[in-house]
Amino acid sequence: MAEDREILREVWDGRIPICFVLAREEIDTLEEPEPYFLLVPRQSYFPLVTDKVHRQFVKYVKQESQAQGELWLDFEGQPLRWHHPIGVLFDLYGDPKNLPWHLTVHYENFPEDELLHCPSKEAVEAHFMATVKEADALKHRSQVINGMQKKDHKQLWTGFQNDKFDQFWSVNRKLMENEGEEIFKHIPFRIHQPDSVVIQKLFKPLDDSGEPHTLEQLLKCTLPEYDWPDELKYKRVIIQGIEPRLDTPALWLSEHLSYPDNFLHICITTRLESED
Amino acid sequence: MSAEGGEGVKDGGEVEPETAGDAVPHTGTPDKESAPGPGTPEKESTTVAPEAAPASPKLSKVDVLLKPAGNAPILKKKRWTVDRHKKIGWISDFIRKFIRTETEDSVFVYVNQSFAPSPDTDIGTLFDCFGSDGKLVIYYCRTQAWG
Repeated sequence: MAEDREILREVWDGRIPICFVLAREEIDTLEEPEPYFLLVPRQSYFPLVTDKVHRQFVKYVKQESQAQGELWLDFEGQPLRWHHPIGVLFDLYGDPKNLPWHLTVHYENFPEDELLHCPSKEAVEAHFMATVKEADALKHRSQVINGMQKKDHKQLWTGFQNDKFDQFWSVNRKLMENEGEEIFKHIPFRIHQPDSVVIQKLFKPLDDSGEPHTLEQLLKCTLPEYDWPDELKYKRVIIQGIEPRLDTPALWLSEHLSYPDNFLHICITTRLESED
Repeated sequence: MSAEGGEGVKDGGEVEPETAGDAVPHTGTPDKESAPGPGTPEKESTTVAPEAAPASPKLSKVDVLLKPAGNAPILKKKRWTVDRHKKIGWISDFIRKFIRTETEDSVFVYVNQSFAPSPDTDIGTLFDCFGSDGKLVIYYCRTQAWG
């Protein structure tokens, strides 16, 4: 996997410029806060990067909202789920031709039906580790993650949280082990669509004759109601901000374009007529 | 750590009749369609619908087996038929109600004895990926078991 380090590094370094604005109706002061600009890692989660945003805006909202202090975000009315990587949310709702990404910051009217609460950074860590474990359950029947020590788990998290590529990958490469006994049983992937629940199914990396399954086969298996590959006329298939060719082996995508949570997050959006 | 090894776990297993140790109060039946009443240890818990027989992704309902871990109380009825589109968070709330835990107390649920799914995960998805022998086994406990 050493020769692929550049790809992994490039993916890791993906950033999205974001302009945060406080919801107008929640401003409780005469003075209006300035927008706040940040360049955030695609691989991260919003609660890990919004401390400064919170400090910027919290003094402008009502006392009771300040006391409660739970910040949530929306893009054009669409609440954003903190427990999905930021890059997934951008690929799903954002537009690379329209940067920075304009998000609205809220403290009131938490959309209980749509979002999960995020009480602390520990909640992000618990969610992250649970997702890594789920991925390894699919890949190696949990054998790799269970064979690790507590300190390896901690290193995986701190490496991720502190944006330390080498620290993270020295542990993560064991989870990405894919040879001999440790060949992936299934590919951990999730399909995200704007108005649909997340789709996740069992999908083997190779077919019966040992040939690698492609992205096209993965899409046919999970979204059989669409006519792949012709559906690309109407839909975009985006992974890590890229539209990969549908004949790319799914296993290669899993090894190289998975998020740090070890899942391959595939976003499917509608191709607008004005595009391309 | 294994749930089976945990102290105070009295798990009858799937095949044995239930031994509902410290008598869990049976409070109501949140899932009306699939609740044949208290204490039915049969393999097929459901009295509804012939279509609920074999496990197939096409079905709108799936079989779920709820097992305690750590010192969580045992449910009188362990096997439930659950709508595929219900979320795992709904299952946690359901268990919390049944074991009469205060709402502020935590209930942790685990799949595969290894990971805690995000509360907004569909039961049907978990069944498809982690079910075996036609059912999804979910462990619940009051403290983190497989942290």
